[in-house]
Amino acid sequence: MKIFLCLLALPALLLPLACFFYIVVQAWPALNWQLIAGSETVGNLFGDVSSAGHGLWSQISGSLLMMALACLLAAPIALSIALFHALWATPSQKRMLITILQILQGIPPIVYGLCGLILLVHLLHWGISLAAGGVILGVVILPLLSSNAIHALERIPVEQTESAKALGLTSVAIIMRVWLPAAWPGMLTGLLLAMARALSETAPILFTATVFSGITWPDSIFSPVTSLQTHIFYLAQEGSNAHAVDMAWASATVLLVLVVFFSLSARFLRRYEESV
Amino acid sequence: MLILLWFLVDASWPFWHDFGISQLWASEWYPYESLYGLLPAIIGTAWAMLIAMFIAVPCGLAAAIVSSEILPITWQSWMRLGMEMLAGIPSVVYGLIGLWVLLPWLQNTFDLLTGHNLLAAGMILSLMILPTMMVMSQDALRLIPIEQREAAMNMGMNWSQRLLRVLLPQAWPGIRSGILLGLGRSLGETMAVMLVVGSLDRVPQPIYNILEPAQTLTSRIGREMGEAAFGSMHFSALMACGLVLAVAAICLSLLAQRKSKGFVL
Repeated sequence: MKIFLCLLALPALLLPLACFFYIVVQAWPALNWQLIAGSETVGNLFGDVSSAGHGLWSQISGSLLMMALACLLAAPIALSIALFHALWATPSQKRMLITILQILQGIPPIVYGLCGLILLVHLLHWGISLAAGGVILGVVILPLLSSNAIHALERIPVEQTESAKALGLTSVAIIMRVWLPAAWPGMLTGLLLAMARALSETAPILFTATVFSGITWPDSIFSPVTSLQTHIFYLAQEGSNAHAVDMAWASATVLLVLVVFFSLSARFLRRYEESV
Repeated sequence: MLILLWFLVDASWPFWHDFGISQLWASEWYPYESLYGLLPAIIGTAWAMLIAMFIAVPCGLAAAIVSSEILPITWQSWMRLGMEMLAGIPSVVYGLIGLWVLLPWLQNTFDLLTGHNLLAAGMILSLMILPTMMVMSQDALRLIPIEQREAAMNMGMNWSQRLLRVLLPQAWPGIRSGILLGLGRSLGETMAVMLVVGSLDRVPQPIYNILEPAQTLTSRIGREMGEAAFGSMHFSALMACGLVLAVAAICLSLLAQRKSKGFVL
């Protein structure tokens, strides 16, 4: 029985390592400093040899910009949802809020992408733009952010809140002096996880925010951007071109490093929070 | 959420209005001849989910049992780290792995014209939901009170009896919500599937033939959204795909909540 289970479990234990190693090994020839800093994206979509470009800086900056925009939009909303949940909601409202958040989290990101495409790109005439991508990603990460914020607030012991109330603090003072100092690590953890999520979502921004090449730095928030995620996708479709393959693996590595960076720092923050 | 649903319904209304609900069972999808049957994509989605669950549930469960019952505790946290990292890998990267590693392998093994098929999609999906499965079941196993284990030991049960009679039934609600979460994720996953599934709009012939190129709802939306003009019938048919996806996802998460509420101790 034990042996059988171990055999079944073996792939699950070995696959993470195998995936990481495979990606890094594949990307090794294309990885150098030029890759990250260089910003020339030569050529066009129609498959000439240089179409894969050389640098990834514009893609990286596009991804990060979109992520930052999404977090800027979603964080205040998530915070206010969490505060509403903690301060004013009745138990039945709380239950409903949690249910809605879970359902929203279950809806496939590409559906959000579709809605964004109709509303933002076509009805509001934003076009394929950084702003549309940021807003859509913000909506995608909103449930994650708010449920994390709610949990962070819930972990505060009831005694603290009650003694603060007994001291006659107003609710603003309770939020600023009692809750925020106690809950910020949890909230920041949630934010970091959400950032990792926003970086790794591809489908919703594929046809709402990004183009393949030709953009090094978006002129305004209503101009299209390039992003790492979609760059990988476009490169993967070119398939046969060896340079494109190398570049795709390299972009995958860069993206992976970014995502892992965010989720690792979230993990350390969580450990710090538990130790305090 | 209601706004979102309303948008989908509104945008796909021309489609439902012109073709009616029976399009769900129609098996032809040729946008240029105004044939929009959703059946191939729905069957493709269902197959991909089934294959993914078939691989991921046993593996994930076994991994959870091994890591929380057999391995020492230091290994546990390392495995958890690994799993969280695996969960964090962006789906498009999985797509790359599928496209350039899995497909050639499948092609050689089964001697096919192309490796693009449902089996590949299912395998990639199983890799993606493995972490979810494992983390959820591990949590469920860990939450079982130590008294239960001790009581089982006192009754002289051996290891496998304890596992099957005590631990697994107790952890079942958590495991089930892991399964449902995994189902939801595999339902909505786009990029990885899109790269490997082959995008052929046809009901597999015969229907259990998983080695043929096929299409899922998500991959169809992703593949054709760029081509469809805003406001056209094609566009609203794609919106209808999105609506089907959203409704399925909502049903799944409602199911997950209903069940987990009933079994909370």
